[in-house]
Amino acid sequence: MMKYADEEPTEDYLFKIVLIGDSAVGKSNLLARYARNEFYPNSKSTIGVEFQTQTMEIDGKEIKAQIWDTAGQERFRAVTSAYYRGAVGALVVYDISRRQTFENITRWLDELHAYSDMSVVTVLVGNKADLKDAREVSTEEGTALAEAQNLCFVETSALDSTNVQLAFQTLVKEIYNVLSRKVFFYQEQRPDGKLSNGKTVILQEKDVDSAGAPTRKY
Amino acid sequence: MATDKVQEIDKIKGVPDWLNSSVWSSRPSNSSFNRRFDVSDIPWGNAGAQVVLQGSASAVVRDPLQENIVNVVDERSSRGGADSGLNKQEDISICEGNMANKASIQSKCERSDEDARETLLKSDESLSEKYYSSVSDQINDPLSDSWAAPALDLPSIAGHSSPPQFSNLNFKRTSSVDARRSQFYSEISKKVIYLAELQRLASQGIPDVEGLRATVWKLLFGYLPRNRELWESELQKKRSQYAAFKEELLVNPSEVTRRMDEAIGRCIDNDGDNGSGMLRRLEITHGEHPLSLGKSSVWNQFFQDTETTEQIERDVKRTHPDMHFFSGDSGSAIANQEALKRILLIFAKLNPGIRYVQGMNEVVAPLFYVFKTDPDKSNAANAEADTFFCFVELLSDFRDHFCQQLDNSIVGIRSTISNLTALLKRHDEELWRHLEATTKVNPQFYAFRWITLLLTQEFNFPDCLRIWDSLLSNSDGPL
Repeated sequence: MMKYADEEPTEDYLFKIVLIGDSAVGKSNLLARYARNEFYPNSKSTIGVEFQTQTMEIDGKEIKAQIWDTAGQERFRAVTSAYYRGAVGALVVYDISRRQTFENITRWLDELHAYSDMSVVTVLVGNKADLKDAREVSTEEGTALAEAQNLCFVETSALDSTNVQLAFQTLVKEIYNVLSRKVFFYQEQRPDGKLSNGKTVILQEKDVDSAGAPTRKY
Repeated sequence: MATDKVQEIDKIKGVPDWLNSSVWSSRPSNSSFNRRFDVSDIPWGNAGAQVVLQGSASAVVRDPLQENIVNVVDERSSRGGADSGLNKQEDISICEGNMANKASIQSKCERSDEDARETLLKSDESLSEKYYSSVSDQINDPLSDSWAAPALDLPSIAGHSSPPQFSNLNFKRTSSVDARRSQFYSEISKKVIYLAELQRLASQGIPDVEGLRATVWKLLFGYLPRNRELWESELQKKRSQYAAFKEELLVNPSEVTRRMDEAIGRCIDNDGDNGSGMLRRLEITHGEHPLSLGKSSVWNQFFQDTETTEQIERDVKRTHPDMHFFSGDSGSAIANQEALKRILLIFAKLNPGIRYVQGMNEVVAPLFYVFKTDPDKSNAANAEADTFFCFVELLSDFRDHFCQQLDNSIVGIRSTISNLTALLKRHDEELWRHLEATTKVNPQFYAFRWITLLLTQEFNFPDCLRIWDSLLSNSDGPL
């Protein structure tokens, strides 16, 4: 774990984030819009996994978000078992113009909880908000589900860029906040200040990393 | 049995010496194959292994996959033989109720018997020589069209060396294309085609002329019989069989119930019950009512299929969005998409154990493109049926990769990826170490797509066709 930190000493944090949701809800395009400001009206379906990293700054700290994208069909998640491992954040995406994708959200949340090895900050994303005439899921329904499940919620459009940055930034900030609280708590518990030396906290491994930082159940 | 093996392998993870062990192969010795793939032996001067890796896509592709095949297929050929009934049983239970596949397995077995006999006739030594000579042919005299186009677009792997270089290969592209074409024609115009020779020719690339690739691929799949005289009758048989599949499997349920009603109606008519002037109550059987929960209900089946159909539709729409052949609003693109959808849906219905898995659209696309663009009008018109059967044939070799239940079995995707990793270690230890130890990249993250899609998403389309020439001409199947 420390190897990573040694190699890239400028990053303060590395967050692994997963994109999940039914096939063709626009996961890959959300990522393309966020990471490269691109959009493909007809992009190929994702097979296996792909990922991108994006760096941002919060409180003067550099944070690298490693965002994982995968195929929507169930078959692929079993084989890419490492997909959920170490994830600290998730964007659970549905398509506001296809009701079925919204109805499957609970299934995706169940899976996320079943496979991830730590608590995961989750943002519910209703994508394709530009398809106003074809809307099948109202904003209120999205909000209600998010409240019931205790998630953040945002409607996005990868096509016209609406809220895409916001969705990812909200997620990263929320992870950072949760982590800061935990770190604070941890330092309170252990006043030896060990953490202030090793600033790098990588939320990747199940167990406490070699810097002694808490990486689990923050 | 299979899971035990995998567990055993898991235990010794990272020590892929097991590749040579009897766990994987009933072959007594791997030595000839070691030689066959020891690139440092190949005599092309100072260029060395780098050229293989960077310059020659087919060599890169062939090596790992081919040897992969050796391992997987050793097993399979024993399936065909009498000594191991187990795998065969597995095979058949997976696709129970699947006529097309049963037939293809049968023909597979027959073919692998044949192949086994053919292989027995040759010593391993001659096999390895064949390999050398075919590679050096390519280097010295790159005859095929695609070799002349240096647009191989090889994915560069971070930390590894430079981009493709062809400068030291000295291409001379003269009338060799013609010579090559006539070689093919003389081969396929024989009364009975000698498959091994055709495979040898095709593995070096099939010239892009006059629908040659379509014919050769059909022969390589065994879809066209080796005896030319049987071509016409065989094609006719298969094409009408496909028409029957369409008729049987793609009819919507209201049509089915309408036909039932008609049949019932006719009975009533015969009873002379028609003159009362009252509207007749439709006698829909309980099982066939749209709200029936019965599993056998045509409607229930229909709703179940809807999900598959929608998934297929979404993916077909996203197949090669950059090609007018597959994508856009033109009449032909739409017709082509419809054909792809039907092929995939019929396959899904005939293979309830696998159904449709994302990515199958990518695998079916090259076949359909090649067959549809055949200048022979009758072949082009029947491209859909031909594609279907060749797709079934192609998937019979590696459909296990698409099957989630087999992920951890010896025929599943994980074990194939392990094979690939072991091969990489053997042939390019530096790269292997870089991936395995330095960057700790899980091979699943890159190899999964390579293998399940037979490299179709890794290269541009014309290069894929060229790569498939080699993949399909491997007598042991593509994987």
